[in-house]
Amino acid sequence: MSIVSLRNIEKYYGEYHALRDVSVDIAQGEFFSLLGPSGCGKTTLLRTIAGFEDVTSGEVAIAGQEMAGVPANRRPTNMVFQSYAIFPHLSVAKNVAFGLRRRADIPKQSRATLVEDALNMVGLDGYGARRAHALSGGQRQRVALARALILKPKVLLLDEPLSALDKKMREQMQSELRRLQRHVGITFILVTHDQEEALTMSDRIAVMFEGRIAQMGSPEALYRRPETRAVAEFIGMMTFLEGRAASGTVEVEGLGRAEIAAPEGAVAVGVRPETLTLLAPGETAARETAGTVADRAYYGDMTYYDIALPGTDTRLTVSMKNRLSRAVLEPGTEVRLGWEPDALLVYAT
Amino acid sequence: MDTEARRGLLLISPTALYAVALLAMPLAAVLAISFATQDFLTIDWTPTLANYAEATGEPLYRQLLLRSVLIAGAVTLVTVLLAFPVAYYVSFYVAPSRKSLWLFLITIPFWTSYLIRVFLWKVILGFNGVFNTSLQGLGIVEEPLSFLLYNANAVVITLAHAFAPFAILPIFVSLERIDRSLLEAARDLGETYLTTFFRVTLPLAMPGVTAAVLIVFIPTIGDYVTPRLVGGPDGLMIANMIQTQFLRLNNAPLGATLAVLSMLTVGLISIAFVLLTRRWGRTQ
Amino acid sequence: MTLRAYVIAYLLFLYAPIALLPLFAFNDSTIIAFPLDAFTTRWFAELWTVEALHAALWNSLLIAVVSTVLATLLGLAAARAAAKYRFPGKRGLMGMIMLPLILPEIIVAVSLLVVVIQVLGWPLSRWTIVAAHTLICIPFSIAILNGAFQNLDASLEEAAVDLGENRWSAFRLVTVPLIAPGIVASLLVGFTISLDEFIIAFFLSGAEPTLPVYIWGLLRFPARLPVVMALGTLLVLASILLLVLAEIMRRRGVARAGLKDKGGFL
Repeated sequence: MSIVSLRNIEKYYGEYHALRDVSVDIAQGEFFSLLGPSGCGKTTLLRTIAGFEDVTSGEVAIAGQEMAGVPANRRPTNMVFQSYAIFPHLSVAKNVAFGLRRRADIPKQSRATLVEDALNMVGLDGYGARRAHALSGGQRQRVALARALILKPKVLLLDEPLSALDKKMREQMQSELRRLQRHVGITFILVTHDQEEALTMSDRIAVMFEGRIAQMGSPEALYRRPETRAVAEFIGMMTFLEGRAASGTVEVEGLGRAEIAAPEGAVAVGVRPETLTLLAPGETAARETAGTVADRAYYGDMTYYDIALPGTDTRLTVSMKNRLSRAVLEPGTEVRLGWEPDALLVYAT
Repeated sequence: MDTEARRGLLLISPTALYAVALLAMPLAAVLAISFATQDFLTIDWTPTLANYAEATGEPLYRQLLLRSVLIAGAVTLVTVLLAFPVAYYVSFYVAPSRKSLWLFLITIPFWTSYLIRVFLWKVILGFNGVFNTSLQGLGIVEEPLSFLLYNANAVVITLAHAFAPFAILPIFVSLERIDRSLLEAARDLGETYLTTFFRVTLPLAMPGVTAAVLIVFIPTIGDYVTPRLVGGPDGLMIANMIQTQFLRLNNAPLGATLAVLSMLTVGLISIAFVLLTRRWGRTQ
Repeated sequence: MTLRAYVIAYLLFLYAPIALLPLFAFNDSTIIAFPLDAFTTRWFAELWTVEALHAALWNSLLIAVVSTVLATLLGLAAARAAAKYRFPGKRGLMGMIMLPLILPEIIVAVSLLVVVIQVLGWPLSRWTIVAAHTLICIPFSIAILNGAFQNLDASLEEAAVDLGENRWSAFRLVTVPLIAPGIVASLLVGFTISLDEFIIAFFLSGAEPTLPVYIWGLLRFPARLPVVMALGTLLVLASILLLVLAEIMRRRGVARAGLKDKGGFL
């Protein structure tokens, strides 16, 4: 049974159509991400689930209960805000205990222990007496998590929780959030514009553009088989070459002919950098094409090469894992590329 | 209308209704009564333009209004010119942690008894006043200077003092908003300190200067205490006449007419000023 | 450095009048001029004996307290509406409410006088002054509280609602403690304005003058001037005290919200 069920959600702000026919079912215990560029409606959708926005039409149900008319304070959801919204006039412990005030089902005497446990869980044991505004960004986020999770919500909503952190801290929190989610078993719904973040953390991702869900699926499915060119462009790195499809084959500029079924006419052919191989001298591949290194970007573990191909102005990006035994190629070097038809993504234009 | 708009309107409605009842409607009443006539204590509400004919025809009123505009203009010019360097100093040369202390120091005199402050300027500027006795004591002048008190100069000095923080604060705020890297960029592109000031700082500070001008110019017209205490017969302004019409001569309609006319004048001048500075801003 | 010298000269200009006040207040002469005579405290002693002064002071305090509380409540509602909600006509309504900030006081005075006397035919009383002072204090209150609301992260209240509070208890538990210094500053500033306001009070006071109206009466009698100086000295001290308090409150508010101080109110 799904814990969150959204049916045909529409949302207008005056003339502006913020959410268009959004339907999603999120399973109990799932780590679900809403991914999209800013303004795509992902935060609006999250706030709709939390109860901070009304829907124009459609249904929101949480744990089988219809949520229309239920205000945010009565919903079984809790939220980690983008700014963390730590109450600056309260101590860390009082922040974490804030939501317990309204919980008649939790006895007063057990509250201190609960707060301690919650702080332990997020790695902030001993921080209870601190003033909230003396905390670092990462610590604030942990307080926000503890404050929400102590109430054992059915769903935890996270609005861009990592965007305010620096790169190192962000990577550390990614794995910690994942670990925490498995530990508490609560459904997490994460809003993010960072595709890498969504790919590494989520069980399932919904990619949103302009108020609509463009594609929904596991990180692997989204990365391997993006259904539209927009999704393909948004997730991961990809070069698009022009192509022409006719009778079961596609003629790809710069690469050559591939046996792929596609609707006849002009097509765009997407190539992921890691599906190509830069062939060493003597090495061969089933399909090869010749080119010249036009530019390169060295990343330490990887090098990305922009390859100029004959017959097209588009530079094809290829990634290679760096090895001690292989020198990084200089611009101007003649190379051969190995490629596979199966790895090509064909979109009608 | 959505929930947010309803809540906002509901929340603002007590204050808005208060302003309608005690500001908008009374202002409308002033406009209405300016077309009425008064015979001793009874008001005749038959609409007439007689008050306007009298107010614009009588040389005394015209002279008072013209003088008020000139004095208010002079006060504005003096106040803003004197205030700008102070705002500039606090914004650019005072350490950030001490800025609020400076602003506090600048605003304190403004909050202290207005009447007594004006009166003290009379003491300072008078024939036997502090200023003259000091000048004489220092041997700078032989005879006390008599042009200091009971004329328009005294009104300008006193009002420039009274409105100082109103001019400094908006200019300070707009100077604070200027991204300091813009000034560095101008210097980097070859401007001198002086040309940077005129080509970058001043144009960006213009909103504050405009606000300062309006916030000094408009209320100045309505002051009747300063002209009365330090202005002498040649320093009286239109507000003194409005006060006289209302409280001494019991001619509320004519007083209202003078009030309407002075607000109209001030309003038109202010609008013209704003339009001119906007146009100037665009040609920059 | 010339700029610094100029600024110091400007501050001297600003402080010249209030600096003179205590000199004449303690000067044993009825003539307000240099050179000073002997030191005396008799003008202050005289303050205690003038019944009319006490009545005026009491009247002024009453008016100041009532109009300040009213203005702060109304200002609080408007400032919150402006900071939190988008609604049609917002600019126009706020413009009208803030208008007394630049409207000449005599216009406010005249318009209320016309309504009270000519339209309604009511007698003037301290309540007409309260009504007017509330009107002119509201914009100051809004300006101060606006600062307080702008320092406030909008998601704090949402977080409280998310954690189970309703809209009113979220406001009470989170917003009120965080803007409390702003509320106190608004009360203190409004009190100072009302206590010192003359132009409107002169038009609208009935049989009971306020303190500034009473002082205005005294200014015509040269023999009473030293008493005015003594009274003025006390008023200046009181205003400075109130303002220092207001400033401390404002700074505490900034510190409580965990922000960097960016300048004074107004």
